[in-house]
Amino acid sequence: MNEITQVIYWQGWIGGIAIGSYLLFQLVLTGHPLGVSTGFGNVCGMFSRLPFFHSGKYEDNFNWRLWFIIGIPLGGLIAALTSPEPLVASFSLGSLYDSVLPAALPLRALVLTGGGVLIGMGSRMAGGCTSGHSISGLAMLNPPSIAASAGFFAGGIIIVQFLFNVLPALGIGG
Amino acid sequence: MADIAKNDGAAGAAAQGSGARIVSGKSAIGRILFLGLGALFGFLLSRAGATTYDFYPRLFLFQDLQLLWVIAVAAGVGFIGNQIFRLSKARTLISAAPARYQGKPWKKGLVPGSLIFGLGWGLAGACPGTALAMLGEGKLGSLFTIAGFLIGTYLHGYRQNKKIQAGGS
Repeated sequence: MNEITQVIYWQGWIGGIAIGSYLLFQLVLTGHPLGVSTGFGNVCGMFSRLPFFHSGKYEDNFNWRLWFIIGIPLGGLIAALTSPEPLVASFSLGSLYDSVLPAALPLRALVLTGGGVLIGMGSRMAGGCTSGHSISGLAMLNPPSIAASAGFFAGGIIIVQFLFNVLPALGIGG
Repeated sequence: MADIAKNDGAAGAAAQGSGARIVSGKSAIGRILFLGLGALFGFLLSRAGATTYDFYPRLFLFQDLQLLWVIAVAAGVGFIGNQIFRLSKARTLISAAPARYQGKPWKKGLVPGSLIFGLGWGLAGACPGTALAMLGEGKLGSLFTIAGFLIGTYLHGYRQNKKIQAGGS
C-alpha cells in the first residue's frame, strides 16, 4: 500500500503565482472564470433525466466544462511522467492518510466514496468548490466566496483533527 | 453590473461568429482548446503540490501551509489581474467579450454546504480538480472519490427536484 507516485512540486507561493496566472489566462482567452465542480453536474445530466440537470446552468450539458474536466487527468499524467520518480498505479494515499484510513480496499473505497459524496453535495449546496470559490471567488474578494472558503477550511480542520488527534486518543486507528 | 450587461450586448453581436463556438466548446477547435486548458490546469495543480495527499492533513494540522500559500497567492494574483482587466476594459482574445465575471451569489445552503465540502475535502484529501489530476498520476483512490462526486451531485439534484415538485403541486 505504500508505493505511490511521487511528483515534484514547487514552493507554495510559486504554485500560487502559476495558478493565479492560469486563472487570468483562461479568463482573458475564453471569458470563462475557472471552476470545476459544475462540470460534474453536467456529467450527471448525461445520465439523468431529472429536470434539475436540464435547466439553468445544466440546460446544455455538452459544454466547455466537460472537455476541461477530461483534460485535467491528462495534466496529472504529464506532471507524473515529467517527475524523476516513476509513475506508480496504487490505492495508497501516502504515509499520513495510510496511517489512519482502513488498509482493506473495500473499506477504504467506502471512506473515499463517502468523502466524494460530501464534496459533491457540499459544492452544489455552496455553489462552487475550491476552484470556483477559493480561487476565482477570492480573486474578486466576493463575500459569499470568502464565507464558503472559511467553511471549507473549517470542515477540513474538523475532520483532520478528528482523524489524526481524536481517534488515536480514543485508541482507534493511528 | 449594468456596464457588464451593456458590454455583453455589444460583444454578443460580435461573438456570433466562430469565437462563440470555440469558447463554448461547440467546435472541434474549442474542444481541443479546453482539453488543453484542463491539462495545463491539472499539471499546475500537481506542481503546486495539490495532488500530494500529505499536504492536506499537514495543512489542517497546521504543520505545513503549502496549500494555503497556493490558494492565497493565486487569489492575490487573480485579484490584481482582475483589477487590471477591469480598469483597462480588457476583452477576451477569442470572442472579444469583456474579460470579467460575476461573483457567485449568496444562497441558503452556502454555509452548511461549505462545511460539508470541507469534511469531504479533509477526509478524501482531494477536491474536484485535484482528484481528477490525481487519477492521471495513478493515484487510484481518486476513482472512488470521483464516483462520490457524481453520487453527491446527483443526490443534491434529486433533493432539489423533490423540493421543486413539492412547491409546484
